[in-house]
Amino acid sequence: MYEEPYRWVEAVGNRRQYLDDQLKEGTPVVGVAYERGILLMTMSKGTPKLYEIYDRLALGGMGHPADLERLRFNLLEMAHVEGFNRSASDVTGSRLVKYGIAPVVKQAFEEVFKAPFIVKILLAELGQKAGKDGFLTINYDGTFEEKSQYAVLAATSVVEQKMIEYLRQQSMVSLKDAVDVAICTWAVGDRAQRLALEDGEGHDEAKTGANQQLIDAGTLYAHLRRCMVEKTVECALLDRHVQGPSKYRTLEADELGTVFPTDLSPSLT
Amino acid sequence: MGLQGDFYQLLKEQGYEFGLSGQAGAGQQLTTATTILAFKYREGVLVAGDRRATAGNMVMYDRTDKVLEIDRYSVMAIAGVPATAYEMARILEHSFKYYRRTQLQELSFEGKLRSLSKLLKENVAAALAGTGAVAPIFAGYDPGQEAAKIYFYDILGAEFEGVEYAVSGSGSSTIRGILHYLNTWGEQPLNAMPEEQATVQALRLLTSAAEFDSATGGVNREAGLYPVIKLITAGGVRMMPDLQLRSLFESKVSRSA
Repeated sequence: MYEEPYRWVEAVGNRRQYLDDQLKEGTPVVGVAYERGILLMTMSKGTPKLYEIYDRLALGGMGHPADLERLRFNLLEMAHVEGFNRSASDVTGSRLVKYGIAPVVKQAFEEVFKAPFIVKILLAELGQKAGKDGFLTINYDGTFEEKSQYAVLAATSVVEQKMIEYLRQQSMVSLKDAVDVAICTWAVGDRAQRLALEDGEGHDEAKTGANQQLIDAGTLYAHLRRCMVEKTVECALLDRHVQGPSKYRTLEADELGTVFPTDLSPSLT
Repeated sequence: MGLQGDFYQLLKEQGYEFGLSGQAGAGQQLTTATTILAFKYREGVLVAGDRRATAGNMVMYDRTDKVLEIDRYSVMAIAGVPATAYEMARILEHSFKYYRRTQLQELSFEGKLRSLSKLLKENVAAALAGTGAVAPIFAGYDPGQEAAKIYFYDILGAEFEGVEYAVSGSGSSTIRGILHYLNTWGEQPLNAMPEEQATVQALRLLTSAAEFDSATGGVNREAGLYPVIKLITAGGVRMMPDLQLRSLFESKVSRSA
């Protein structure tokens, strides 16, 4: 019956609803560029959400862990084969996304008899120098966007917009700045998602970004403290100053403690 | 999917073929590389190689780097046909990275050794035909066991552990005896030497090899050419800078100093 155009459009529309529903409790992901490179941040319950892809590429994802793994492996295979056959310089986020996984995700989304990927992906790419760092985000339907300075993933575009609005008002120079901004942005997103879940679509704050500036740091920190009881802060860097070709490293608890906002440090342990 | 994290298998699935045909270059004078050595010293393991590449009696290149950093904790030194050896190094480098990134853990030191062994076995036809023989040394620091390790291979892929030291290449017979002498009757065994003393010994050993083997390049002070010396410790791989080598050579190795 999906041969009829109207039925097919309807089926795709249903998939969109299904995927939005599946992702509504997902954990936001934040990527920000700072002077030494890129920071990716999220919170997770056991399963990590941040990964190294290639020498200067890192991945953050939200959604179903098995789908995220499949796409992660796709990216890893493409990146390493390309790096081997050509060179590390030829492995770029743009090529991996545009000619690699975005078409795969789109095809899965539109093949209505098969399962779509329940994921959203953020690919961060460290530039050769500051100011050249970039981000690519891929939605579950295969649409992708290129961004510089920062990028986010959240359950809905409304929540993502709130997070971007918050980020626009911040400046990030040091790693400490970047961590502070990233966790607060994450809190903005997670808080908005929870409000939307609790109060449904009718909740004013969940629906618009108008009162974003009213959320003060104290409220965000309080939200973070609550989240940190059951979740673990996950931070990864693409650090230009790391020796050797591979620039990815995770921020382990000791180092995270030194750059985490003092008010929140006790919640890390 | 990628449970095995095997990059070489992935390459083969995509049509990649490693190794030269057994007959392709038979009878040709192939470029070869010459003297490499590794020994354990107080803080880790030192790996050194001269810089000459030859084809028959022709010096092809005198700036070859035969001590190749494969990852943060391991180094492969090459003796034999550079074309094959460099390809092996590239495969290994990508394999170790791919394993770490897919499996979210480092490949064990034993796993790394096995990877090299497999490549050498796949290269047997070319090695026997005389077109791609490589006899490498693989050395590194095993963070899991907190120990420096040295292994060396014959051209067929047989693996041997160099308990204290290993040598390979055409100049190796000269320095093998010296290493044995130094380690047995020297003022202190090799594994007790501090970094500077170990570096001086490596410079002296390669200078001795160059004295008796025309295919091993010695130090060329006029051109500022010194051997490549890499040190692998708990902190990872570090290359000894030329400036330091020059200073040590002039003060502790050169007889005209």
